[in-house]
Amino acid sequence: MPAVQETIEQVRKIDVDQYKYGFESFIEMDKAPKGLSEDIVRFISAKKGEPEWMLEWRLGAYRRWLTLDEPNWARVDYPKIDFQDIYYYAAPKSTPGPTSLDEVDPEILKVYEKLGIPLREQEILAGVEKTVDPDLEEVGDNVYKSGRVAVDAVFDSVSVVTTFKEELAKAGVIFCSISEAIREHPELVKKYLGTVVPTTDNYYATLNSAVFTDGSFVFVPKGVRCPMELSTYFRINEKNTGQFERTLIIAEEGAYVSYLEGCTAPQRDENQLHAAVVELVALDDAEIKYSTVQNWYPGDAQGKGGIYNFVTKRGDCRGDRSKISWTQVETGSAITWKYPSCILRGDDSRGEFYSIAVSNGYQQIDSGTKMIHLGKNTSSRIISKGIAAGFSQNTYRGQVSAHRKATNARNFTQCDSLLIGNQCGAHTVPYIEAKNATAQFEHEATTSKISDDQKFYVMQRGIPEEEAIALIVNGFVKEVIQELPMEFAVEAQKLIGISLEGSVG
Amino acid sequence: MNMRAEIQRTPAEAAIVDAFGERLSLLPGDGAVMVKRDDAIEQIKAGLPTRRVESWHYTDLRRLLASVPAFDASAEAKPIAALLEGSTLLSIVNGVSAATPSVDGVTFQRLGDKLVDGSYAPALVTYGSDDAVGALNTAFVADGYFVDIEAGTQLEKPIELQNVQAGGQSHVRLPVRVGAGAKATIVERQTGEGAGLASSVSQLLLGDDAEVLWLIVQDQPETATHLAQFKAELGKNAKLTLFVMNAGGKLVRQEVIVKAAGEGADFKLRGVNLLSGESHVDVTMVLDHTVPHTSSTEVVRNVVTGRAKGVFQGRINVHQIAQKTDARMACNTLLLSDDGEFSTKPELEIFADDVACGHGATVTEIDRNHLFYLMARGVDEKTARGLLVRAFLAEVIEELEDETVVEPLEELLSNWFATHG
Repeated sequence: MPAVQETIEQVRKIDVDQYKYGFESFIEMDKAPKGLSEDIVRFISAKKGEPEWMLEWRLGAYRRWLTLDEPNWARVDYPKIDFQDIYYYAAPKSTPGPTSLDEVDPEILKVYEKLGIPLREQEILAGVEKTVDPDLEEVGDNVYKSGRVAVDAVFDSVSVVTTFKEELAKAGVIFCSISEAIREHPELVKKYLGTVVPTTDNYYATLNSAVFTDGSFVFVPKGVRCPMELSTYFRINEKNTGQFERTLIIAEEGAYVSYLEGCTAPQRDENQLHAAVVELVALDDAEIKYSTVQNWYPGDAQGKGGIYNFVTKRGDCRGDRSKISWTQVETGSAITWKYPSCILRGDDSRGEFYSIAVSNGYQQIDSGTKMIHLGKNTSSRIISKGIAAGFSQNTYRGQVSAHRKATNARNFTQCDSLLIGNQCGAHTVPYIEAKNATAQFEHEATTSKISDDQKFYVMQRGIPEEEAIALIVNGFVKEVIQELPMEFAVEAQKLIGISLEGSVG
Repeated sequence: MNMRAEIQRTPAEAAIVDAFGERLSLLPGDGAVMVKRDDAIEQIKAGLPTRRVESWHYTDLRRLLASVPAFDASAEAKPIAALLEGSTLLSIVNGVSAATPSVDGVTFQRLGDKLVDGSYAPALVTYGSDDAVGALNTAFVADGYFVDIEAGTQLEKPIELQNVQAGGQSHVRLPVRVGAGAKATIVERQTGEGAGLASSVSQLLLGDDAEVLWLIVQDQPETATHLAQFKAELGKNAKLTLFVMNAGGKLVRQEVIVKAAGEGADFKLRGVNLLSGESHVDVTMVLDHTVPHTSSTEVVRNVVTGRAKGVFQGRINVHQIAQKTDARMACNTLLLSDDGEFSTKPELEIFADDVACGHGATVTEIDRNHLFYLMARGVDEKTARGLLVRAFLAEVIEELEDETVVEPLEELLSNWFATHG
């Protein structure tokens, strides 16, 4: 089969070095001393001007963390992390809380410009027309058509700017950095922080609780449909830093919010740690849609460098009829260890998980989800597409469980893997646990390569091989792509193209 | 709070370790065998596996094995009639084998003899730190049968290896070698009465072009602990169909470890697990496709009633050179009671790109549409449910096609429904 041989050849040639966002910017930084201790935790808390209760919360987590062992059950392999060799706080010097974009270091703005992230409010994403000064009152419940996205830009340890704040405030939506929320809205933070992912949850979540430096906070009050897409853009820039961000999104009764997250980092030889925690709370009838396009630096073709992405993401469908949906496109990071989950506590609540995980070079991905059915008539859906190329290992690990009282719990899971080349591995590890007779769980998984028949079918219509493969791969991931907000869908499709460049063109 | 506290031995662990000390002088074997036994008991001393050990995730042996009965030589038990008509019956009663019959083309040996002369020592291997069944068995194995079927032998009569146990403890091994081109049907019957603990390890070596149908029928009483392992290696173009029926036991772990090691090898697993009462039944399969052009299909169906807990773990490993592997696995469960539980973990580990692998798993109650269909035709609900559950299981049994095999198995199914339906 020469066609297959060719594909394999192409994959062999493939360079992960094609990472587009690998540039480094030299910005004067304010850093905490290297290493981790109670003093560092106090330092971070003081830098953030946090109240006493927050410091105690952090210290509690730190003491707990000291007693924990690193988890080792995931199918990933990496040298031991020296937690004393990391800077836990790094902030651009010129930003003691800028009040407007003009005060932000122009170098930072350049970074975001380079990344294509619109920080100036008048800017909108390419390809979308701006409507004439849309009035929020008039838009009402309808989908906001202007294509504007409010952005919270997190640079290393701090949030540098949050756009469209005022407009959002008009609708009653609070969108700010978590540090600001701790200062400005302590009652909300106190009420919800750590209620979905407790400080004792797992090794990295506990570490995050102790040292998190920034992240986004979203609060959508009762009955409000958030008038625009919210977005956070994470950028790790500084050397030897770990990024520990914490995101908390609360949708009150009947509220709706769609939130996007993007991430990149410079190209470096050493590995960097990213251990985030994301907590979502959906009350009665609320809906949260959380989309991620994760494109951290994956390391070079030899597997050197790259980000360790150890993230805890969990949504709590606390209210009846609430819904949380996770969509992720994972193309970056040297190692990904990430299981966005849903706790379906409210009756009739729904959880969804759509994922595309593309691994190439020496990337290792161990990702999946957990759907914990607790309430009555809860339902969940998992669609996971893994594409492994090069020397990468791509694992889907997911849990679906129905507890005793979860009458009529329903799950459908489909996880498909595509292998490109014979040096990579694709693995599927689902855990299915039913403790209720009325539960209906279905799980399907397949692993295959692109079949010659499929390729022949496309090629005999005059489409060259590389394009044919690209088409088939696009078809393979379509179900997930269509769940992404439009602006992201375009980016995601491009990203998949870049990740597999050389093998799918 | 530090999680790495010193292991405190559970009563069961202590009982096993103590029993080893007491029985050491009674256990057969030369130096080479005894070394293997010593290593195995050291493994047990390190603690039985907990749910933190991935391969025991749903069967926390350390917690579930609450007590271990003492060895009891006085317990009375009798062999039962063979499952398939006309079988050559070899029985083991309370861990002791009987005199061996003679069949053309087949050599039978009592395993005790092979332990005494040490010729079996090299085969006493465990799979690593999580192989608790292998370790327990290796430490205490005293008897069993060794069966050697000569190349080219086409056995007309099935062979039944029957392990009957009444209380106490027994640890047996059933190594079977099937020569190239030979064909055989083998029944492994695990039965007994009382609250005993039995461990059993079967080892099947299948030569090139050999063909075997192996039936494991386990119907221990609902008070017994049954820890079993079935290991097989398939040569070129060898075909193995393994049928497993679990219809009893309090704590059951049936491991199936198969290696498709010859090109063209084909493995089929068909399983029926009937769970009732307070039982905990775990079927765990690890299947390795190590060479190109091998195939496998697994269909496991489970019915859970009462407060029973069922587990199916199935892992298919496709090695890097094993191109053109075709592997399919399905696990379907009917959960019929509110207090029953079923957990399944069907895993695929794939390192070759030109393969077609898939698995499916479902856990549901009886389809209401099917029930309605029958009830609309005047069938009362209880009967309708019974019919649907039986049809669900019979599908797997009927796949065996051979009537002489299907009928006795369906009868076992009927018996189970008569007492538990």
